[in-house]
Amino acid sequence: MALLTVRNLKKVYEKNTAVDSVSFQFEPGKCIALIGPNGAGKTTILRILAGLVKPSKGEISFAGNEKEEDIRAFIGYLPQYPVFHGWMTGKEFLVHSGQLAYLSKAEASKRAEQLLKKVGIADAKNQHIRKYSGGMKQRLGIAQAIIHRPRLLMLDEPVSSLDPIGRRDVLTLLEELKQEMTILFSTHILSDASEVSDELLLLNKGKIIEAGSIDNVRQKYQTSKMELTFTNNMKVYQEKINALSAIEDSYIERNILHVHSQDIEEARKQILALSSQHNWPLTSFSINQVTLEEMFMKAVKQ
Amino acid sequence: MQWMSLFEKELLENWRNFKWIWVPLVLVLLSIMDPISTYFMPQIIESVGGLPEGAVFEMPTPTANEAIMMSIAQLSSLGVLVIVLMSMGVIANERKSGVLELLLVKPVRHVNYITAKWTALLLLVWIGLFVGMLGSWYYVNLLFGELSFVAMLQVVFFYGLWLTLVVTLSIFFNTLFKSPGLVAFMTITTIMAMSLITKIFGTYLTWSPNNLASHIHELLLIHEVTRDLAITSLITVVISLVLLIASVYTFKTKEMAN
Amino acid sequence: MDVLQEINWGIIAPFIVIQGILMIVALIDWFRTKETNGSRWLWLFVIIFLNTIGPIFYFVIGRRQR
Repeated sequence: MALLTVRNLKKVYEKNTAVDSVSFQFEPGKCIALIGPNGAGKTTILRILAGLVKPSKGEISFAGNEKEEDIRAFIGYLPQYPVFHGWMTGKEFLVHSGQLAYLSKAEASKRAEQLLKKVGIADAKNQHIRKYSGGMKQRLGIAQAIIHRPRLLMLDEPVSSLDPIGRRDVLTLLEELKQEMTILFSTHILSDASEVSDELLLLNKGKIIEAGSIDNVRQKYQTSKMELTFTNNMKVYQEKINALSAIEDSYIERNILHVHSQDIEEARKQILALSSQHNWPLTSFSINQVTLEEMFMKAVKQ
Repeated sequence: MQWMSLFEKELLENWRNFKWIWVPLVLVLLSIMDPISTYFMPQIIESVGGLPEGAVFEMPTPTANEAIMMSIAQLSSLGVLVIVLMSMGVIANERKSGVLELLLVKPVRHVNYITAKWTALLLLVWIGLFVGMLGSWYYVNLLFGELSFVAMLQVVFFYGLWLTLVVTLSIFFNTLFKSPGLVAFMTITTIMAMSLITKIFGTYLTWSPNNLASHIHELLLIHEVTRDLAITSLITVVISLVLLIASVYTFKTKEMAN
Repeated sequence: MDVLQEINWGIIAPFIVIQGILMIVALIDWFRTKETNGSRWLWLFVIIFLNTIGPIFYFVIGRRQR
């Protein structure tokens, strides 16, 4: 059963349509990446789900919320630019956040201590937040989002403002959190998405242009291309390969022989057979995995 | 408990930003300023060169009641201004800076948020008022004559209702506007408009909250809570409650995080 | 006149003490904050040299919430 189901979600601001009839759903336990260029509507969707923005149209249903409770109780949210009370200490803020989500003071305090360790800012727990660095604030932001053990964690561009080390740390943390809860996060950096997420929602101009598991989406956009390299005399082999029945055409670029085929499997068999038969000085052979980048560019163009 | 946590956060914030120190102190200064300067007026005049030859300066020493009413008058002008400026950003600033966002994504009940802020502000203002009047009471007894402690408490109680209305107005405008300056401007304008209307239609508006101070003066003179004072107090409380409910309503229906 | 002057001080002392506390608290806050509304050094001047209203002004409009 789907954890979250969104139907025909629409958000219209005075002139522009930020989110245009978006529908999607996802199962519990997944990590979903909301990918799209800036202005695609990622933040608006997350803010609607978090209850910060009212949708112009559409339905949102959350599994296990048949009693029409406050949906925010099940959700943890970290905005792209979280702002904290600078005069509070990290620990005070976490305890306060926990209590707002109906944890008892003792429980919130215990949970705060755990999370401060988990996100790696336990040393600064009694410091005022105004003294925290950007990375520390991001970690505190994640901690406050999960203090009440939400079933869905939503993060808006959680790593885009961090330096490489901070980004690595946060991605590792997300990898860990995946075991405990469903995660929905937005990003415009495709490699981050492919690293931690199971599913993708590709968004452009307020519309979902592609959705599904990473593998499925990848297969769909799989290019029918192989790349070969040889120690020498590439031209000779190119001619021989072109003569094969499964091969469509080929070209050489930067010392790599690119081969196109409609039937990659058959083409692979033929090429490998030929090369072992004549003992070709083949140094590498790869069936090109399409990158998210290419996939995205293709999807946007369609 | 959610409400308690919100309330404690307010108390802590007001402690860390020193409001718990400076608001009461400023209200004390305002309360004792006029009784003291009135007492020293003859000396002050003399020290600046005295009156011109032949001028007669007739200045009756005020009674104890009149003296404490001077404090109330001072609180009604500068005191109200300070309270409005001090409270103009309690919600507006949180919206403007964006800290409200992290709060609103938690299952916070709107009524808890507003009433916790309101209660924390009222506590600060009422304690400030009490300390201020305590100072005034001390000087009045020292310089002008006897005023009973109970009378002072009565003044605090009834005048506190007026300040409650002021605070609630400020909270109300805080839920309407994002700019603290606009909140202060609207609060002050509303209070001034109320006062103007009360002055113009004075005969029909005996029970206007703006008349609380004059009813309090009557109370001091006849040592009895008049019907006018009771009704005016009731009206003040009712208006405050209506404004409070309206604040919760606007806070609930408006998109606060943008 | 001597007697009068002695009484005067007893009356005015609390006034001065309150002003002093206000100024000290404003100064502590000024030292702690990095940002004020408007020039930080101007506010130091206001707190110290504008008697009574200086610190009050600082708290009411000079101090930046956060």
